[in-house]
Amino acid sequence: MTMLKRTGLLVTVAALLWAPATGQAAKTGMVCTPGGPTFNLVANTGDIETPDGNSVFLWSYANQSVNTGHFQAPGPVLCVNEGDTVTIHLHNGLDSHASAPNMVPENVSIVFPGQSQVDASGGSEGLFTREAAPGGDVTYTFVASRPGTYVYESGSDPSKQLEMGLYGALVVRPSSHADWAYGSATQFDPSREYLILLNELDPDLHHAVETGGLYDITKLHNRYFAVNGREFPDSVQDNGVSWLPNQPYGSLVRLQPYCNPSNMSDPLNPPPPACTPASPANTQPALIRMINVGDLNHPYHPHGNHLRQIAQDGRAFASGASSERFGETIGSGQTEDFLLTWTDQDFWNATTNQFPNGVALTDYRNLTFKDDNTFYSGSAYLGRKGTLPTGVVQQNVCGEWYFPWHSHALNEFANFDEGFGGMATLMRVDPGGGCYAFPSSTTIPGGVLKSGSYTDLGIDDTKSYQVNPKTTTRPNATTAGQTSITVASASGFPASGNYFIRIDNEVLQVTGGQGTTTWTVQRGQLGTTGAAHLSGAVITALANDWYAGFTSVPTGSQNLKVTYKGKNCANTTGTTCTLIASNLPQQTVKICNWTIAGATGCSTATSSGWVTLPAPQSQPVGSTDVSTTWTLPGSANAYIGTGSNKGQVRVLVHTQRWTASSPTPFSTWGNFMQLVYDAP
Amino acid sequence: MERLHEGSTRRQFLQAAGFGAAAVAVGGGALAATRGAGRAVAQATAVSARDRVVLTGGNILLAATDGYMTVPGREDDPLYIFGFIPVSNDPVATLENDFKGRAQHIAPILDTTDGTDVYLKLTNLGLIQRPDLTDSHTLHWHGFRTPTSLFDGVPEVSIAVPINRQFTYFYRPHNVGTYMYHCHFEDVEHVQMGMTSIVFVRPNGHPNWAYNDSSTEFDRHFAILLNEVWNKFHDGDRDIQESIPTDYDPQWFTLNGRCYPHTVLPNDDPALSADLRLVTANANNEDDEASQPVSALVQVNPGDRVLLRLANLGYLQHSMELPGIPLRVVGQDATFLGPGTSLGVTYADRRYMTNTVYIGPGEARDVLFTAPDYDGDAPTFADTWGTYNRYFFRNRDYRKLANNGDRGGGGPNGAIAGLGGMASEVRVYEPGASGTPLPAPTPDSAGRISPNLTYVR
Repeated sequence: MTMLKRTGLLVTVAALLWAPATGQAAKTGMVCTPGGPTFNLVANTGDIETPDGNSVFLWSYANQSVNTGHFQAPGPVLCVNEGDTVTIHLHNGLDSHASAPNMVPENVSIVFPGQSQVDASGGSEGLFTREAAPGGDVTYTFVASRPGTYVYESGSDPSKQLEMGLYGALVVRPSSHADWAYGSATQFDPSREYLILLNELDPDLHHAVETGGLYDITKLHNRYFAVNGREFPDSVQDNGVSWLPNQPYGSLVRLQPYCNPSNMSDPLNPPPPACTPASPANTQPALIRMINVGDLNHPYHPHGNHLRQIAQDGRAFASGASSERFGETIGSGQTEDFLLTWTDQDFWNATTNQFPNGVALTDYRNLTFKDDNTFYSGSAYLGRKGTLPTGVVQQNVCGEWYFPWHSHALNEFANFDEGFGGMATLMRVDPGGGCYAFPSSTTIPGGVLKSGSYTDLGIDDTKSYQVNPKTTTRPNATTAGQTSITVASASGFPASGNYFIRIDNEVLQVTGGQGTTTWTVQRGQLGTTGAAHLSGAVITALANDWYAGFTSVPTGSQNLKVTYKGKNCANTTGTTCTLIASNLPQQTVKICNWTIAGATGCSTATSSGWVTLPAPQSQPVGSTDVSTTWTLPGSANAYIGTGSNKGQVRVLVHTQRWTASSPTPFSTWGNFMQLVYDAP
Repeated sequence: MERLHEGSTRRQFLQAAGFGAAAVAVGGGALAATRGAGRAVAQATAVSARDRVVLTGGNILLAATDGYMTVPGREDDPLYIFGFIPVSNDPVATLENDFKGRAQHIAPILDTTDGTDVYLKLTNLGLIQRPDLTDSHTLHWHGFRTPTSLFDGVPEVSIAVPINRQFTYFYRPHNVGTYMYHCHFEDVEHVQMGMTSIVFVRPNGHPNWAYNDSSTEFDRHFAILLNEVWNKFHDGDRDIQESIPTDYDPQWFTLNGRCYPHTVLPNDDPALSADLRLVTANANNEDDEASQPVSALVQVNPGDRVLLRLANLGYLQHSMELPGIPLRVVGQDATFLGPGTSLGVTYADRRYMTNTVYIGPGEARDVLFTAPDYDGDAPTFADTWGTYNRYFFRNRDYRKLANNGDRGGGGPNGAIAGLGGMASEVRVYEPGASGTPLPAPTPDSAGRISPNLTYVR
């Protein structure tokens, strides 16, 4: 047995980009095997991998309709509806195999604890039920008369075959509502249904079966402990991850906080902005179907929040008889169902309700991150990321929280001799309604910095990022009528399209030569009069263009929302905003679509890659902050850079004052900008 | 690195090298400590004896370090432990000088109140026996509905505290009941090594109720932590040997860190006579350390309403009984089992009477009983306080009533021969002027009756 550790203790959850093909399983959550209520199962042999580099020989059930019965551990999750007649044809593939020539084949069968009146046909009579001989078949039929979470497992030579892995989950859904576990009090969010199936492994016993050695169950000495057939950290990888081909089920639990947007006085609601009338509703709990197919009882401890037990062994508790647990010992062979809602009683947040006395303002350089590899976001607040010390690898995607769920028999929280492994998974709490990103840079393609930096855009407060219009000069005097002028520099002025400039009290329109230093101009525009100007006269733009850059936005994010709050002021110096009373500048906010022309397409204010955000588009913005949120539904991939621009988003604020009467230059004051998106 | 031969201890190594050894006084033996030529640093700033049993309120100062403790049969070869200890409010260098190497097991019980913020500053002092082991430590309040991962204490998903550094954990308790706390850094090892204890939350305004229900009012309360001891982790960590956690096979079984008969010794106090103290020679500094200061003895008067705050931080399931006294389970996992509404869900009355409390690892139970009348016709016993009827609080799995296979040899304070391991006693004292009743506990300025009070004359 090799003792190699996987490279890096923790593997990025988000980095496993497993693009599901049509009909393939979701990345997290319980996976029902296709088909039913008639299933064709086969018992066959295979190997599973453990995180410490070991592999263990197993016997398990597989679905013949899935990759022609490709081996899987545990057996396929059979999902049926209450009242269905369930028929299972079992073929015994436990005959001799070239890979294990000394393995002694056995009859195999299935029993269904909790189901009544199971008819068996075919095969031969066994101790508990009819059995299929190696290479042979047997059929079972029963009516799934009660909803709930159940087990199916071998009834042949159980002290060997259950250890070897012949078990699986059977889920019976109420006939009236697929999103109830039992009755109406057990309604759950069907997109958050999780299986937690627990077992232990003694690799020496498996080796004995593989090699035809002496199998002595009294010498049982478990070394591996699994959730859904995988040991931690494999247990938190996606369903169907390609490098665990025989262990298709992950067990990462994902939640978002409770939010009831239709009743803002619901006491469980976090305060805005986490939960507003515009937020998606998240009022139904997650359902946890816990099954123990091992020999031992297991004390399962969820961090972070309590689980509420609503049923046991396929029987719902009476109304009012559920109870919350932070530690639940589930007996060998038992099933238990839990509902889980992420409820917060404090609603700490980074802006309006910070942890007291600076306890969340931590200097991480005084602390350690285990193995320099962490799931921590760098911030105490949900949805926020902070900076970690140099050299620490961060697995966190967008400020989500991770909490371990694990056996508290801590000798089971290990892979053989390595701790933080074994019978464990993680619960991931994503920010309600999405993850947050704030600018990490700013660029001014059309203008000049007046004051501030990108950090001023991160908080809605009195500090702002202020941009003045671009200026250049006339190297020569200007007559009142000339229509071609040279300028000292065109940089920062639009390279295409007509635009307005101001010299002294006159507004001119540039109609030709954009991007060069010789402009064709129309004189006396927007209610002003053509006039002569001295040599060296300053030319001021009548538009400001700046964009904020965001980084580390994950590929696969969805439902991107851009929020920008800002105003415009008549002064270009000084710290007090001078009111613009009339002829308000027009603001248009755009986002970079990288697929149009890459980074070049978003380099200048008029480059082709800028896409105007959906309505409201152009809007007047005076000297009072205007805040707007735009939503780009669906995939955000076009707006997230790839390659050398990986993870980048750019949002451009274009503000022009190109209308009568007689517009004067102005400065743009950006107060706050953020992105919100649903994490992949 | 050199491998020490099997069975060798640092103490034996030092002995061979000519330094003196200290003997341990347990039970009836006399304290016969011989200070060696090694450094004997007296604690310049000690915390009070009471603080080593329970810390109360919103500002808690703990440090993590190593030390030694005694289990029966290993009196001359103490077990190496890690532990949390109460410390003074001093700079890290001072704490290191005064407290490093003086771990206790169990750690102090933490007494908090609903709605009162808790600031818990943890200092990592490092390990004297293992200067090569640069483990960080964390503190995980087990079962707390935590509103952030930063203060949950799991190093892989938040932070850990390295040697000579500090971190303040913040908790705002909202949910009354009994919980546990423990280190979560390499917890498979650190929990068994001893970094464990109980924390509970009192109702705001009703400090002597278990939950926000008058039916849970108590006269006395006792926090009792269940655990086991597997010597391989302890000897292995001392001798720099790998231990394989899936070989876990404990042979000692403890309540509040002690095996019977030590469980019925009182809370430690330097003023006590030597035969009432559980003191271990601490090879870290050649001192004698009362490193297991928390008693599991339950002393009551007839008719007292008694709350047992039970928690299990071992890796085995335990089935506890108190024969002769029926138990009412009113809380589990810091949730009230009585009727009410919590976080939007309405619950019926799920409290139950039982004779056996089955607690898995990581679980907690709040158990109420009423002390029976004193029965002069039943067997009576005597300790330093007085005359009492005796009831055993003990594990029904009798394999856990032995100390490495040996049954107890009895001891002072009334402990009987033949019993060991995970057992303690409820002593119901004779009332009246001719008897020896316990005094009523005095509430503190906030009205709180302190937990785990023991009485000695």
